[in-house]
Amino acid sequence: MTTATLAAKAKAAGISEEAFRRWQARRRWSRAALVYAVMLFFGILLVGPLLFATVSSLKSDPLEYPPSLNIAQLDPRNWAAAARLGVAGARDRWFGGFAPGAVVPFEVRYFVPDGVEAAPPEVVVPRRRPGAGLGAVLRIDFAADYASVSDVRLVESQAGTVLDADGEAVPGTFLTYGFEITYEGEGPEVQRLPLDVTASPGVRFVGSTLAPTRMERRGRTASFDDVAPGVLGYVFHNYVRVFNEVRSPSTGQSLFLNWILNSFSYAFFRIVTSIAIATMAGYALARLRFRGRELIFILVLFAQMIPDQVLFISNYLVLRDGLIDFGGFKLSALWGQPGGLLNSMTGLVFISALQTATVFMMKQFFETLPREVEEAASIDGASHWQRFSRVVLPMARPALGAVVVLQFQGAWNEFFWSFVILTSPEQVKTLPIGLLSFRNTYGGIGDWGLILSGAVLSALPVIVLFFVFQRYFLEGVSFGGGKE
Amino acid sequence: MRQSRADARAAYLFLLPFLVLLVVFFGYAAVRAVYFSFTDYDMFSRPEWVGLSNYRRLFEDALFLSALRNSVVYAVVVTTTQTFLALVMAAVLNQRIRGIGFFRSAFYMPSITSSVVITLIFLWMFQRRGVINYLIEAFQRYSPVLGAFLLLAVGLQLVQVLIERSRGLPAGWLDPALAVVSLLVAGAGTWLLNGIGVVYPREVPTFDFVWLQTTDAVPAGAPFWLQAPLPLVAIMIQNVFTTVPTFMLMYLAAMQDVPRSQYEAAALDGAGPVQQFFYVTIPALRPVTFLVLTLGTIGTLKMFDQVAVFGNAVPLRSMVTLAYFVYDRMFPGASLPQVGFAAAAALFLAALTLIVVLIQRRFVRSEAV
Repeated sequence: MTTATLAAKAKAAGISEEAFRRWQARRRWSRAALVYAVMLFFGILLVGPLLFATVSSLKSDPLEYPPSLNIAQLDPRNWAAAARLGVAGARDRWFGGFAPGAVVPFEVRYFVPDGVEAAPPEVVVPRRRPGAGLGAVLRIDFAADYASVSDVRLVESQAGTVLDADGEAVPGTFLTYGFEITYEGEGPEVQRLPLDVTASPGVRFVGSTLAPTRMERRGRTASFDDVAPGVLGYVFHNYVRVFNEVRSPSTGQSLFLNWILNSFSYAFFRIVTSIAIATMAGYALARLRFRGRELIFILVLFAQMIPDQVLFISNYLVLRDGLIDFGGFKLSALWGQPGGLLNSMTGLVFISALQTATVFMMKQFFETLPREVEEAASIDGASHWQRFSRVVLPMARPALGAVVVLQFQGAWNEFFWSFVILTSPEQVKTLPIGLLSFRNTYGGIGDWGLILSGAVLSALPVIVLFFVFQRYFLEGVSFGGGKE
Repeated sequence: MRQSRADARAAYLFLLPFLVLLVVFFGYAAVRAVYFSFTDYDMFSRPEWVGLSNYRRLFEDALFLSALRNSVVYAVVVTTTQTFLALVMAAVLNQRIRGIGFFRSAFYMPSITSSVVITLIFLWMFQRRGVINYLIEAFQRYSPVLGAFLLLAVGLQLVQVLIERSRGLPAGWLDPALAVVSLLVAGAGTWLLNGIGVVYPREVPTFDFVWLQTTDAVPAGAPFWLQAPLPLVAIMIQNVFTTVPTFMLMYLAAMQDVPRSQYEAAALDGAGPVQQFFYVTIPALRPVTFLVLTLGTIGTLKMFDQVAVFGNAVPLRSMVTLAYFVYDRMFPGASLPQVGFAAAAALFLAALTLIVVLIQRRFVRSEAV
């Protein structure tokens, strides 16, 4: 605003120019404050669900209602206890376990209201299978077969009061019981040491060395999935389960690990093939004159509008036939896949090598490069291939960086084609399809801890990549939408 | 002449791998889809020519009609909502202030995450005893407090603006400096009212709404073609959530390219901020709007992942889309694949997409001229 109009406005308001200037500055600051507040609000709205899901994935029951942020796994007292117990169980403060010779001390604290007879709690190491579903048929070792629980003894008795539901003080006694769980004799190291502690009727559970996984039988039984977990085994309980419990019934390998490796190798092959093909095609479309150029370019644009579902009917059959089926002999038998290309990484890579959007992006990019260098090379007698590989590609490095990052994201998140092509066995799947079989296996029984941890783990690589190569993603936006 | 022939030969060599893939996985696939759509084929025996009967049967198939309705309602609602929200959010955030980069990255997080991960998280939140129902219940419970806060804020703003104006200062109704004061004082006031017991949270029954395992549709009494089944509404909410940030960033980039001189000229003509938005910003954004609408339509019409991930948590008819219908006919589980039928539905989907995009193009262009 010019000084003249400022003066005029100040005069109209009947205050000094200086006061008017201050008034305006105040408005500017307030506007900035409001905009930050609004951005914070949008941020919470957009990132909130992801963050809340991440935090909830640590809980033993993410479906807990009402959903709370008061999570035992985030309490440092439990971390310390988990580390101590992990050392006692298997001399491993990080992942714990239950090994021969272990003596795991444990204490439970109850409140006994006056007038109630209290007996020591019943302590059992249950023969409980961790989780169900994929890999549930595999034989595992049970801690129950090797553990023996010592006599439960009274450690401490202390008079006190607690508040009941109506806020009334109830007099009574706090009792602390202690016991040890010992690994008798020789045997394998067992991954988990579950425990059920059942109190006598009428007493109230107050606390224990480690917070219980869940309370059962209307609060009488404190049930622990693992009382020798180690810090990581405790805090990332569900994450450890993702790797340990979900195993292939035939080979016993960790399926989740398998899916991660598949996703990485798919991303690698897709990046290599699509870049090789798209840079060459984009270069030809951008620089060379030939008959049919317009037609190809129109096809490239048109192909982006056709839904995958139109193409997948024929493409599914082409892959089933191993590209071409000569009356029983499939072309893919030439490289050792006589059964066709379904349920194989090769088939998936074949389908995703056709990236029309990337061709378009490379063509647009090559058109922005100056022609002079190429022309100079051509006068020096360089062939087309030399011009392309020695002159143009080195100049295209920034664009190639963007393509690598976006292709990685595309490959990591790819769903439709993997869903159609990779159906069985579980080992051939990529992460998104694997997560889907997680959901089908564990969603019904409400084991959301496993599903959410799997989801968070599979989101991580792209999020890390995003923070490192942000500008490439944002360039992707200006190239048209990024996400399908 | 020789140069151009050498050019052409090199060009075809450069294009060879791409063209082979394009011919096999696009050209041949498209032609075969058309061919299959006129046949009866189950993937094992020979295709049998049946003429147009697949297309005729489409419109007698109850699941296809549900899919068509779901796809169209979904595309219209989601495209409109996300375009509108993206524009509004971009307008709010179109400020030259520090730290916008940080927020921009944060906003972008839902868009870069895979659809399966986001869908799983939303599936979890939409459980009967899930986060969404809990938030709705909390909103109901605290609505009196929220109402008191809003009333106080609006009242305070009104009083302050009137005082400023009586002093001769040109304060607008939404004057930011006064708004900050109004919001802060209203917050303190509500806290006080709650403390002395004038305003307090309401007792509400547990909100146990079933989002997923249901065949109910909204609006309840509306005709079939105007209804959206509840699970589809859940998917709509999720999709708006994931795509708004991308489109907002596209709008934001375009807004920052609008030359300042245009705003200054408008201001000289006496246009206020609101008029500037409608007469300068919106027309300048027309190309982006076209892009956002086109990408939105193409993206929503081919919605598939969410249906596949929701899977058996939802009755198929309450969320099936055209894209999923095609898949469902190709792999119908227990019965034989109906490839011809699936192809007819797929081509119908492709035609629908192309027509909508062409209409949008014509519409947006003719307005621009």
